[in-house]
Amino acid sequence: MGKFLRTVFLVDLLQGLWVTFRNQRPKYIYTEQYPAERPKVAERYRGAPRLNINPDNGETLCIACNLCALACPENLIVVGSERNEQTRRKELTYFTYDISRCMFCGLCEDACPVDALELTQDFELASYTREGAIWDRQMLEEGPRPTQYRC
Amino acid sequence: MADEPKPEGAPAPADAGGQAPQPPAAKPAAKPAAGAAPAGHAPPKPPPPMASTPWESDLAKEIRERFGDAVLECSSYLGQNFLVARPEALIPILEFLKLEADYDYLVDLTAVDYPKKPERFEVTYILYSFARNDRVRVKTTLADGVQAATATTVYAAANWLEREVFDMFGIQFDGHPDMRRILLPEEWEGYPLRKEYSIVQQDDRWVKENLGIESGQ
Amino acid sequence: MPETTFLDANELVINMGPQHPSTHGVLRVILKLDGEKVLGTECVIGYLHRGVEKIGENRTYQMFAPYVDRMDYVAAVSNGLGYCLAVEKLLNVEAPPRAQAVRVILTELNRITSHLLWLGTHALDIGAITPVFYCFREREEALKIFENYCGARLTTHAFRIGGLQYELYDGFEQEVRAFCDMFLPKVDEYEELLTHNRIWVQRLKGVGILTGEECKEYGVTGPVLRAAGVKWDLRKAQPYSGYEQYEFDIPTGQNADTYDRYLVRMQEMRQSIRIIRQAVEKIPTGPIMGKVGKVVKPPTGEAYVSIEAPKGELGYFVVSDNSTQPYRVRVRPPSFINLQALDRMVRGALVADVVAIIGTLDIVLGEVDR
Repeated sequence: MGKFLRTVFLVDLLQGLWVTFRNQRPKYIYTEQYPAERPKVAERYRGAPRLNINPDNGETLCIACNLCALACPENLIVVGSERNEQTRRKELTYFTYDISRCMFCGLCEDACPVDALELTQDFELASYTREGAIWDRQMLEEGPRPTQYRC
Repeated sequence: MADEPKPEGAPAPADAGGQAPQPPAAKPAAKPAAGAAPAGHAPPKPPPPMASTPWESDLAKEIRERFGDAVLECSSYLGQNFLVARPEALIPILEFLKLEADYDYLVDLTAVDYPKKPERFEVTYILYSFARNDRVRVKTTLADGVQAATATTVYAAANWLEREVFDMFGIQFDGHPDMRRILLPEEWEGYPLRKEYSIVQQDDRWVKENLGIESGQ
Repeated sequence: MPETTFLDANELVINMGPQHPSTHGVLRVILKLDGEKVLGTECVIGYLHRGVEKIGENRTYQMFAPYVDRMDYVAAVSNGLGYCLAVEKLLNVEAPPRAQAVRVILTELNRITSHLLWLGTHALDIGAITPVFYCFREREEALKIFENYCGARLTTHAFRIGGLQYELYDGFEQEVRAFCDMFLPKVDEYEELLTHNRIWVQRLKGVGILTGEECKEYGVTGPVLRAAGVKWDLRKAQPYSGYEQYEFDIPTGQNADTYDRYLVRMQEMRQSIRIIRQAVEKIPTGPIMGKVGKVVKPPTGEAYVSIEAPKGELGYFVVSDNSTQPYRVRVRPPSFINLQALDRMVRGALVADVVAIIGTLDIVLGEVDR
């Protein structure tokens, strides 16, 4: 009789659904709404490289010492510099970074003595062309600008 | 796209400044860090030999007594013991170490290429004894084209390891049951871990025939 | 491979892989069958060969460190530790105690993530779909700790020669403790799902037996050796990185079969938690980088250093010629050598067992092919 009532009132089904329902707490939801909501990556995340500029005067922090290029295992950084005759200091002329070969090991950022080169939290690096993966100085200073989606 | 960090292969960026393109070796010359040996880059003097000390133990003594002249050196470096043997005495030594001295586990078998030496290959057998909890390296030197005796008769583990050494260095092991390349394709030409094989080199003919492209680079 | 059986009607040669999902990558196994019974195998490997050892000869010591992560990419931290220890041995320096403790915590976490990945995929091979989701859920938590610590989840490049590059972040200890508290009941949960599951037991018990003697003969190490009853773990036998300070047991099996290997790995995860708990309680203060200059230039010599990676003995044989680049770096890959015993293990088994045996060896093809 008890078994009959259980069957009629779908007790097993409700029990099963209760288990499912219990796991609907927002805390347990692991799905990320990716393009609409970007996941928060760690503070130390090694993503897209950036060449920092001094926020006060907009000049680059890079002193063109070439240490990052020497530290890079893939030799993908090329630093161009020229000597300024007035200040007797080296100035950065160009800086290219080939992200298609980068393995984000972080050795360049460790080598940088002035914290100019930094691997940032940006992780959207896709490009339609191979040339698009070779970033020049402007691109490195501005950072990637991925399309923002809304839903 | 040669991406070698060798001095000659290092990219030479437009350096109008005073810093000439330097090899990576000379990188810290500007800032010698504490504890680092000063990186002298002017005279390329030959590196000093390995500062090994004689290996004194009962086992070393026994090996010396038993194999006599066939054992060229019993040394120890950084607390790790090794012995250098003549190639013909290698298998008897391995058998002795396995059967009588309990070195029953062949950890690794590899080779090192020294192209400037007359006997250019140094084949290293790393053995471990579970009973003694001790490692020993047995080394032997071989000239190019000389066949080594296989260790598969002593240790079954040597099978693939010898194939890999053949694949990478071109050392043939006499008596090996299946002497073929293991990691590279069988028709591949050249032995990649020899020193004259450049890091960007590849078997262009094989790549063209099998992959249908001019070059992988 | 035994002699060709082209015209022999009773025997059949089939090809498993390189795209077979249960070969865990690009492993190709040529099976010679008599009906369902396996008579012999031949492994075709090398599809993922990248010449890591050659790269090592052409990079400076520090530059090569990120590459070793890409061999066993599910246990990148262990790879990094092995390489750093080998170069430190050549330099005759030791990482400071704080660095050693952090190294132990991260490598043990990595052992857990590696075993979790193994458990999930192994269960998937056998036909149990559920565990993989649970395993990945917990693995995610450990990977988050890696990401917070060093900025990468898989190919971490967490350690540097001589110590650590990154200081611990605020809340590292709490996160690790929270992970330990969270994780231990989960292991029980997996065991509840699998250990007494009839299908699981029937598929694994008595399959792929490799006795202790055979393990030694073939050089097989790691959980496979311990499941054969050999109580040998490099963390105990030749402690490195301060493992002698921690109390833990070496789980062993008796039957040397696939089921015992499963049990051994489950126990190892618990022991790893035990080590992490001890280590996180007493992380010493002090520097995190040893006395290693900006340029690493070990004196001429050679050293072989091995560690207990999740898969077995992972060794690095580094030869230095007193320059900034290694003269030769040889990796002793546990997966490669364990895979060699596959032929011995599958002879006489059924085709379906081959899947279980490949799974139980816990190979990573990136490490097999290097």
